[in-house]
Amino acid sequence: MKIKKPKRADSLIPTASMADIAFLLIVFFMVTTTITVDRTRVALPTSLERIEVPKDAAVIAVEEGGVVHFSDGEEQSRVINMGDVLPAAAFVIEKNSLKWFVIKADGNTEYQHVDRVMEQLRQASVRNIAMLTSQEEVG
Amino acid sequence: MKVERRHAEPEIPTASMADIAFLLIVFFMITSVFSVTRGLEFQLPKDDQDQATPDSQEEAIHVHIIPAGGGCVFEVDKQQMLLSDIQIYIEPKLARNPNKFVIIDPDPDAPYRCMVDAFDELKQAQVKNISIPTQAEKAAWGGVI
Repeated sequence: MKIKKPKRADSLIPTASMADIAFLLIVFFMVTTTITVDRTRVALPTSLERIEVPKDAAVIAVEEGGVVHFSDGEEQSRVINMGDVLPAAAFVIEKNSLKWFVIKADGNTEYQHVDRVMEQLRQASVRNIAMLTSQEEVG
Repeated sequence: MKVERRHAEPEIPTASMADIAFLLIVFFMITSVFSVTRGLEFQLPKDDQDQATPDSQEEAIHVHIIPAGGGCVFEVDKQQMLLSDIQIYIEPKLARNPNKFVIIDPDPDAPYRCMVDAFDELKQAQVKNISIPTQAEKAAWGGVI
């Protein structure tokens, strides 16, 4: 009598759940992604004390050479003249007097550039400022 | 004769779903940037406080930052000291007067990071009143500092 060979099950990789996993990852990235208003590359100074800065804060970035970028917190930052910080900040403060301003300055830039920014912010009646820093390593 | 019709099973093609989803993942991974959203808080004085500040300067601790080579030298009340020693110097003064004013006075050509270092050190020492006068303010105060 001829013995019938058992039928082999087709081998396959289950891919039905692949889309679910992928969409889960997409949702994660969509939730965690924040749209940054300023992409200026600076070497931030370091500090141990760091507080969370409000997400809608206006950003003033100062490059090492003293080039200033300004964003009101909603639109992408643009390069402005050092002397134009005052009118730009005053315009923002007119709409919201408690608006936070973030100074994102390169650690190696000369202090006089930051000083000029601060002086103009003071004249524009800005109250709340945060100096962006990266985490200092202990030890 | 009865003709038997074969109905095709209706189905939604989902084979390419994973491809589309992974394409979106790659897009989000490339465009995502980890932005720094932390820093040192600093509050500028109101205009009406400006006039009162110079009178209280005499009792304040003065931290002068002088550029030296690639780094800085810190002079606290005209005594040169290391950044780590500032806290030791300030602590007894703060114990006597917790509201003691400390003025950070960087030279215009000192690196900005030295000012941040000094500011951070003072924050670590629990100094409540830190003042960083601008060049224009210093000029307005005259020779107070």
